[in-house]
Amino acid sequence: MKVFIDPPNSLVLFDLVERFGHQPLSTMAAIQERVDNIEVDMPPMNVTLDDVVKGLKYAGVEVPSGIRGRMALWGPLIEEADAAIIMDDCPYSFGCVGCERSNLMVKYLIKRRGIPALHVSYPEDDEQATNFVAQTKEFLEGLE
Amino acid sequence: MSEERETRLFMISPRSMLTPDQLVRMVHSFGDKAIVKETCYGCLVEAPRQLVLEILAKVREEYPNEVFSKIRAYPCSDPRRCRAQHGTRPGFAQLEEEWELLARIQVGLDRVDAGARYVPPAEKKRIPVNDFKKICEVH
Repeated sequence: MKVFIDPPNSLVLFDLVERFGHQPLSTMAAIQERVDNIEVDMPPMNVTLDDVVKGLKYAGVEVPSGIRGRMALWGPLIEEADAAIIMDDCPYSFGCVGCERSNLMVKYLIKRRGIPALHVSYPEDDEQATNFVAQTKEFLEGLE
Repeated sequence: MSEERETRLFMISPRSMLTPDQLVRMVHSFGDKAIVKETCYGCLVEAPRQLVLEILAKVREEYPNEVFSKIRAYPCSDPRRCRAQHGTRPGFAQLEEEWELLARIQVGLDRVDAGARYVPPAEKKRIPVNDFKKICEVH
């Protein structure tokens, strides 16, 4: 099954999803597609007109362009996903207008789609990490 | 996901005794078809997707919970990213943060392999009003 991970470029979540037998949907794959197939200078910093149009599907013209740019990458992945794993309080996942609103938008879109979603918290010690891995494993094994 | 080219990042957990040099030598020993680049955290491997997955499976077989991997959008030594060609390196701050987390994830995977199961955290309850009153009166 295709599992969307949030943060969408997380190494830990990507590895765990793949390790337990599913296909992770990540930012890296979306950017790779643009690197390989589209002649733009530096994706995701540079976007095409198609990306802008895709982004408008999720956020209006009045919202910051950073949100539309991110949603152009992540939105189609969320639509493609069969399930999602969301790490709620990552220390590197923060921001003000563009970053944080995009993160909230991702969570909202996952909820609106109604796919099975697991919310986990960032493990601070070995006990929490064990719980996190066990919880993720049980969730992914239950998706069959 | 492209079948022709996959660049994969192998990151060694800080709790592991494995070094990037040992990992690169191991990947080299699987054949000369893949491009392997040693980095401070492990290595980058670039090859057709099927070959990369075979290499990943062999590395996991040897070091099941010590080496973690994810795909990388840009190819190895891409001038837009490579430091040798004065490229930018966005994303490294997150990799560094996640590298620290890998030590805990390694322990978690080891324990889950040994049979640990998910234990839901104790539910937080509201303190009774009388107990709260006593606390307030003490202070």
